[in-house]
Parts: sequence; structure tokens; C-alpha cells
Amino acid sequence: MDVTLGLLSNSPAGDDGGGGVPSGGSTTAKSILTVSKEDNMNMVMSVEVTSSYPVDENLDDLELGLGLSIGGGVGGSGGGLKSKAVVAGPCWSQYARILTAKDFPSLVSKPNSSSSSSSVNIPNSSTSGTKRTAADSISPPNGTSVVGWPPVSKAHRIPSLANHTKSQTEELVSIPEQNKIKNKTNGIKDYCSERNGISFKKYRSVKVNMDGAPIGRKVDLNAHTSYETLARTLEEMFWGRRSTTEAMGSSRLLDGTSEFVLTYEDKDGDCMLVGDVPWQMFLTSVNRLRIMKNSESSELSRNQHETQN
Amino acid sequence: MAYSFPEEVLEHVFSFLSSEKDRNAVSLVCKSWYEMERWCRRRIFVGNCYAVNPKIMIRRFPEVKSVELKGKPHFADFNLVPEGWGGYAYPWIVEIARGYPWLEEIRLKRMVVTDESLELISKSFKNFKVLVLSSCEGFSTDGLAAIAANCRNLRVLELRECEVEDLSGHWLSHFPDSFTSLESLNMGCLNSEVSFSALERLVARSPNLKTLRLNRAVPLEKLPTLLQLAPQLVELGTGSYSAEIRSDLCSSLLEAFSRCKNLKGLSGFWDVVPAYLPAFYSMCPRLTFLNLSYATTQSPDLTKIVSQCHNLQRLWVLDYIEDTGLNALSMSCKDLQELRVFPSDPFVADANVLLTEQGLVSVSEGCPKLQSVLYFCRQFSNSALTTIAKNRPNLTTFRLCILEPRAPDYLTFEPLDSGFGSIVQHCKNLRRLSLSGLLTDRVFQHIGTHAKKLDMLSIAFAGDSDLGLHYVLSGCESLRKLEIRDCPFGDKALLANADKLETMRSLWMSSCAVSFGACKVLGQKMPGLNVEVIDERENLDSIPHNSPVEKLYIYRTVAGERFDMPHFVRTMGKDNRRFK
Repeated sequence: MDVTLGLLSNSPAGDDGGGGVPSGGSTTAKSILTVSKEDNMNMVMSVEVTSSYPVDENLDDLELGLGLSIGGGVGGSGGGLKSKAVVAGPCWSQYARILTAKDFPSLVSKPNSSSSSSSVNIPNSSTSGTKRTAADSISPPNGTSVVGWPPVSKAHRIPSLANHTKSQTEELVSIPEQNKIKNKTNGIKDYCSERNGISFKKYRSVKVNMDGAPIGRKVDLNAHTSYETLARTLEEMFWGRRSTTEAMGSSRLLDGTSEFVLTYEDKDGDCMLVGDVPWQMFLTSVNRLRIMKNSESSELSRNQHETQN
Repeated sequence: MAYSFPEEVLEHVFSFLSSEKDRNAVSLVCKSWYEMERWCRRRIFVGNCYAVNPKIMIRRFPEVKSVELKGKPHFADFNLVPEGWGGYAYPWIVEIARGYPWLEEIRLKRMVVTDESLELISKSFKNFKVLVLSSCEGFSTDGLAAIAANCRNLRVLELRECEVEDLSGHWLSHFPDSFTSLESLNMGCLNSEVSFSALERLVARSPNLKTLRLNRAVPLEKLPTLLQLAPQLVELGTGSYSAEIRSDLCSSLLEAFSRCKNLKGLSGFWDVVPAYLPAFYSMCPRLTFLNLSYATTQSPDLTKIVSQCHNLQRLWVLDYIEDTGLNALSMSCKDLQELRVFPSDPFVADANVLLTEQGLVSVSEGCPKLQSVLYFCRQFSNSALTTIAKNRPNLTTFRLCILEPRAPDYLTFEPLDSGFGSIVQHCKNLRRLSLSGLLTDRVFQHIGTHAKKLDMLSIAFAGDSDLGLHYVLSGCESLRKLEIRDCPFGDKALLANADKLETMRSLWMSSCAVSFGACKVLGQKMPGLNVEVIDERENLDSIPHNSPVEKLYIYRTVAGERFDMPHFVRTMGKDNRRFK
């Protein structure tokens, strides 16, 4: 079944009466898009361009000059090519919508490259008025993400924007207080950066030092998804593998039964106990790890207690 | 003419020609000039590393001291080029190491640089002085250690926006104690901490150090020490600009800054704590370059800063500056030439800051020398664009990114064709243009008609038909780089303008409507072009010829097709057994 969508019409110069119609103004261009279904469910568009712009350039008259003969019979008047237009045009939704591969996700296999799969999920917000909602436009109708848009290079994506609010102008807020504020709102920011799927640090190895051990180690945080696995790995690193019976239990570093305690230094240089904040938040703020003797850690918790008051 | 100048005289004359274009013109005059020129060319710039073979370059220009190469297409910055595409520096380094033992400078952009490459560089050139890597990847701090350890005469080491595997900060300690020639160090993109004492000692023994860009891991407390050791600095990139509020740090910072009488450029400012901003206020009147694009400072503080920078020429800032800050900029910074406003929250639909088109309009009104603009915002109008165009016909770079694809004029809901049309009409020297917003073929008609000096054009989510592309390819006489994504441009315009493609450096098209068949035809008919299809779908061979490719990269080359491609890249139309 063929559906012909007549899009652009002959309209006088400049006066389009609003409403987001991508009309060519004073041109007499006509683009007729024919949507036709073919055998194996491939949505194919026939694009027939017949136009006579004021500059008298008629694309049909142009010699292709290369003996182009793209396979497949082309129906209709000369110059029509079958090509899949891959542009989703939500702005045309009132008039016509070009169906694209995105509407048939099963037909096109997903790209398997990691770098091109950085997905951006825009939370759909509703705005009033006749204007298309911004959210509708940034993400195509079926909610998939737009890779590489907006065109901000990695260097200019800000990893940790502490606040949406203007609390950064409260200059007299001390750093531990700022940390508390940051930790609360970082949750939101982490959500965004997680959804973005953009990793700001490609390699997430941090140094680990243990009190009393002369040589430090490095651990790759990307390889872990929880405090448990991290703590177990560290235990293995510094103490060797546990026996199978012990291995069933939780990490002694975390549950307080070891004479050592796991701490970390965050972005601000503060020493914090590992395990207090959600894992993702921890990932974005940790700079290095330290396995501290219990005796010292009690002083740490005392300090933390004091600054939090 | 029986007599001509002796060679030495001509060589001397040629030595004043630094521009590549001039030298290329000179070499076309006659055979003897060609010969003379090639022996005295000292700098080479290769805009596309696959356009020429390094052996050819070395054969023609035997005495080169400086090589600059670019690899991946620009859209690689936005994750549109899959990993493994190419752009490997190593083959070039191997040839250069063989052919130019006296090479002094290497600059690479968007290339894959391995530790092996860096080690080879460090050991091959006795007089190596300058290494600049921009947006490169593939190496680790081990490679940097090799450079530090072996390049005795190194003057410049700059890593700009590179992705470096941070194995440790110890690489810096590999600079020997006898090494004192450092003039510029940029390690801003590194994540790991370097040994501060090593850094301190390095700075202390580098009397010629003019540029120092620290990384985020260098805490603010250490900055005064470094500044005391290098008061001659001209460009400084701070590390993290955050610390507990301490009066002693405040005053030492203030004092250290005030000693830097030559400081003209400032950057860095990660994690800004506003209380420490006044420390550099005394520097503001001298600043010509200020990069606050990592500073999450709010508008009042930003306004205060820019209001004092009367000699500012280039400002990079986040949209936190808002319209009010830009208004202040327009009143205070009459020497402003370049403005870049980056989005603080690009992925959020609703505006989180009060930055609109008005900000840019104010700057265009108040800053008579404004030439280069990069502006991210959420709304724009034809009238604003026209105003800007009329205010600033001297614009050479205009890159506008309205965050929402296909956003119309927010006042009239019309496409932004006429606004951008005004830009190309009034700004007769426009060399670089990036479009955004709702655009029809009309805008391309304007561009083709007026943008005669346009060198680089970036298009996204625009146009209605092949006519749009045709206008650009047939009208823009100076066009060399064209990059397009998500536009309904197909085979017709491309094939009709095939010859044009040989006059350009490259064309990128992704998520458009160009078919496999057309690519093959183009590749067959144009031996001077590599028509690369980048397509990561499975079962590529079973996709019909008239289906569109995912991504397409066409570039002119005298090196023939390349053979370092991954499986998802194919050069079309050559005798390619992989894809018929």
C-alpha cells in the first residue's frame, strides 16, 4: 500500500502562518515522498525531487555523468531513487512522518562498537504551549538516544557539577558542609552521568596503600560493581586468598571484624570510611584507597563526627 | 631569460615564506623553483594522514624540521567514529624517524599514538624539541616517561584533551636533573597525581618555562609554591581550585599571583571554591586569554571577573555566565576576538541557566573585534541572527549549537533559514560555519550563493532533500571540509558533484541517505578519492545496494586505499575483494 505524502506546497514568500512547517518559503519546490512497503518489511522511501528554484537549478536536468545505475527498477518519473531516508522528523508529525529504521528497531542490528553506544537518555519533561516540547525533540519519538548530540567533546563535559542550585555562592560554607551538599546533589548528577553512559575516566585504577605495607597496589574500580567485590579483591591482594569456608562470609574489611578498616581519600582530600555512600557516588569521588589500622580509624571517625556537627 | 638569481638568493627570499599556501604556489612556478623550494621547506602540515604516504613526503622534502598530522575526522570528538577506525601514528613515526633524523617538532591531532610511537620519537631525534598531542589516545604514562627520559632538548610537551592511560604519576620524575630547557608543559588532561616534589624541582630548574598547565590532581595548596618558582609564567592552568577556606592560603595565593607580572592566560579552575577567586583579580586587567569552561562558578562571580578583564581577547566559559554576564562582557572587553560558551548541562531539555540568544547579541553589539564564536544555547531567532550578522560582518567563525535538534525560531516558529542566510550574506569572510535548529533546503541555497570563502561547514538534522547538499557542493567555492549528520541527503547530489570532492580535504556523512551502490560508483569513477563506508551492522554483504550506509567518509588521497582498516570500514569501488 502506497501512501503519498505531499509535503511542501507552493506558498508565497515568507508567509507560512507559523506552526513549524519546514516550508521553503518562496520556492516552488515539491518533494513527494512515497512510502511503500516491500516484501521483507523493509520500509523504503522513494524520493522524487522535482524542483524549480529561482536560480533555475533543476536537479533532474543535471547530468549525473557517472552512468549511475542503481539496481532495481525505479517507478515513476525520471530521477527517482530508492533510498532509505533515515531522518526522523518529529517536527513534521502534524503533517507527515517519515518512517525510518528507528521505528523498526528489529530490522537493523545494533552497532556493536562501544564508543558509539554512549547513550543519552533525556528525561521527558512536559512543556506547555504549541511549541514542540524540547524533550520530544532531543530524543526521537521512540525514546532512543541521539549519539554525539549535542556536539560537546569529552573534555568539555563537566563530570561533577555539584549544584543546580546556587549554593556555590555561599562562600562561607565550610568544605565538609559542602561535601554534604555535594553528596546529596551528586546523586542527581551521578544519575545523569550514568544514564549518559559517558565514562569520564577511561581507566579507573586507584592506588591502594595499607598501613604497614611498604608497597602499594593499584585496583581497577571498573572491574567492580559493589563494595563487597572490591573489598574481597583488596583482601586477596594484601592477605592472599581465604579458605573456602571463610570465603562465604562477607569481607572482614567491611564488617568490622578485621583489625584493619577500609578508607578512601575523596576528591577534596578528605579521608572517609568506605561504605557510607552509594557505590556510584563513591566511584565518582574516590581518589585513592587506604587500608587503615583500626586504632587510627577510631580517630578518623571521631573527626568525622566532629565536622558533621 | 638567460639569467636568473643565484640559488642562494632565492633560498633566502623563500625563507621568508612561512605560509604553506605561499610555498606551494612558489613551487609551481617552474622546475628550478620547485627544486629549490623543496630543499628549504622546513614545516609540513598534513591535514589528513591518509591523504599522502610518508615516503612521498620525505622524498620530496628532505630537510624538514617540523611535521604536523591530523588523523580522525572531526566528528570523532563526538563519538561518531567507532573505535578502531584508524589514524595510527606509528607508521608515520617509523618513516619520519628514518627520513628526518634532525626533526625537531611533531604535532599530532586525533591520532592513535602508542607507547611504542612515543618511545621511538624519544630515541630517534637528537634535537627533538616540541611534542604536541591534541585529542590523541592509545598511549600511557609509560610513553610519557620515555619522552621525559630521553629528549634532552625538549622544550614543549603539550597534551591537549588526550585520553591517556594513567599508570602512575612517576613519568614526570624521569626528566633528568640536567634537564633545564622546558618552556611549555601541558598535562591538564592527565588524571593521576604526579609527584609534587618532582614537579616542583622541574619547575625550579626551568628558567624558560612560559606555559604551565597543571592537572586537576594538583591541589590548590601547592599552587603558590609553584608560582613562586615560576613568576615568569605567561600561561597558567591551575589544578583543582578548591580547598578549605584558610586565610593563610588566601594570602599566599594572592601574593604569588601578584608576582606573576607576565601572566596573560589563565585556565584550569576545576572544582572552584568562589572564596578563592579574588586571589587572581589583580591579574585580570593583564589577561588576554581566560578559560573558565571547567569552572562551575555562577553568574555573579563570572560577571565580576570579566568586568575586570579589559584586555581580554579570548574567553571560554560555561553558560553559567548567563545573559547578564555576557552583557557585562560586551561593555568591558572591547578587545574580545573569540568567545566560546559551553553548556553546563547539555543533556537536560529545560534551561537550567538564563542564557539565551540575547547574550550573544549583546556581545556582537559591544565587541567590535569579535571574529570567532562558539555558542551553545537553547533558543534562537532569525531576528537575533540577523542582528548579529549586521553587527559583526567581520566574523570568520560562527558555530551555533541550539541544543534541541530542529528547534525553530522560538518567536515565529519558522525555520532559521533567513537568520543563517543573513550570517553568510553579511559576513563575507566567514571561513567556518556550524548550523543548528530547524533548517530547510533554503538555508543551503543561501550558503551556496554567498559563502564563497567558507572553508568548513558542519550540518546536523537539517535540510529537506538532495538539493540542500547540491547547493553547498556546487556553490561553496572554497569549501574543504564538510561534515553532515542526520540529513536527508542522498546519492543524487553526491554523484552530481563528484568532481568537487577532489577539491576538498574530506566529506563526512552519517545517518544520511547515501546508498552502498552510489558509494561504489563514486569510488570506481574517482580514483583520486577514498570512499570509505563505515558500517557496523552484521551481514553487510546481504544488505541491498540501494540501502543507505550508516556512515561515509570520503577524502582525496594520493596514497591509494589504506589497508589498516577494521572490518567495519570498507573502501568502496576499488578492486576490493571484501565487498563487491
